[in-house]
Amino acid sequence: MTQEIDARGLACPQPVIMTKKAIDAGEDCTVIVDNEAARDNVCRMAKSQGCETNVEERDGCFHIRVTRGADGGKEKDTAPAAGPTVVVFPCDRMGRGDDDLGQILIRAFIHTLGEITPLPDVMIFFNAGVKLATDGSEVIEDLRALEEGGIRLLVCGTCLDFFGLKGRLRVGMISNMYDIAEAMLSAGRVVRI
Amino acid sequence: MTDTQPFWIVLFDSTSEALLAEKLFKRAEIPHKVIPVPRHISSDCGVCIRFSAPDTERVRAALDGRVTLRDIAPLA
Repeated sequence: MTQEIDARGLACPQPVIMTKKAIDAGEDCTVIVDNEAARDNVCRMAKSQGCETNVEERDGCFHIRVTRGADGGKEKDTAPAAGPTVVVFPCDRMGRGDDDLGQILIRAFIHTLGEITPLPDVMIFFNAGVKLATDGSEVIEDLRALEEGGIRLLVCGTCLDFFGLKGRLRVGMISNMYDIAEAMLSAGRVVRI
Repeated sequence: MTDTQPFWIVLFDSTSEALLAEKLFKRAEIPHKVIPVPRHISSDCGVCIRFSAPDTERVRAALDGRVTLRDIAPLA
């Protein structure tokens, strides 16, 4: 059946949430929004869920018809690989080139991990990456929230020791090369930052 | 995450301005967080600075004349 969702006048991300609920309930729907940002966000989310979208503009509003794909609207591209997802932090910066930029990027990245799906299962910190989990790090609260959400944070003990940070770990558990190697080799996918 | 205050964000025209502004936030000791510009505001890769609504005037004072802002707005 087709449900009509009138999301005119609603602030982001309300239209997206309403559409997602309909998709999750297994229903096709027509979403009405009154601005382009909402139209784009609804379409992007629907496509990420394997749905097709068809937009018609009428009287300054967008009528978005969302239909589930042949596979029943299940997620296609984001299907997790078999086995856990491991995100590896070998450095306390993201990318090379400029250190100030790199530390802004890694903060934005870790913040974003808490807001998107799929979540990783394990996060591993080694070499200068351990500084993300110790005193003075700007991402402690984000990491703590991820850990409370059930993600395992493994922090290389050798590295903490090397940097003189062993007593200053604020989040995650002190780990060793056995745990780290096992986590990486039994992973469905490893994402290296 | 556990914050109950509504947040505002400062948007900049460049990442360098955001970096500079963060130093000013620190100097003024205003609690803040560097986050990516939310998707519903822009699809460009960019960072902004989030802070608690009651600090809005302090933020304006700390940044005034020292850094070029694009906007200060509630984080909807």
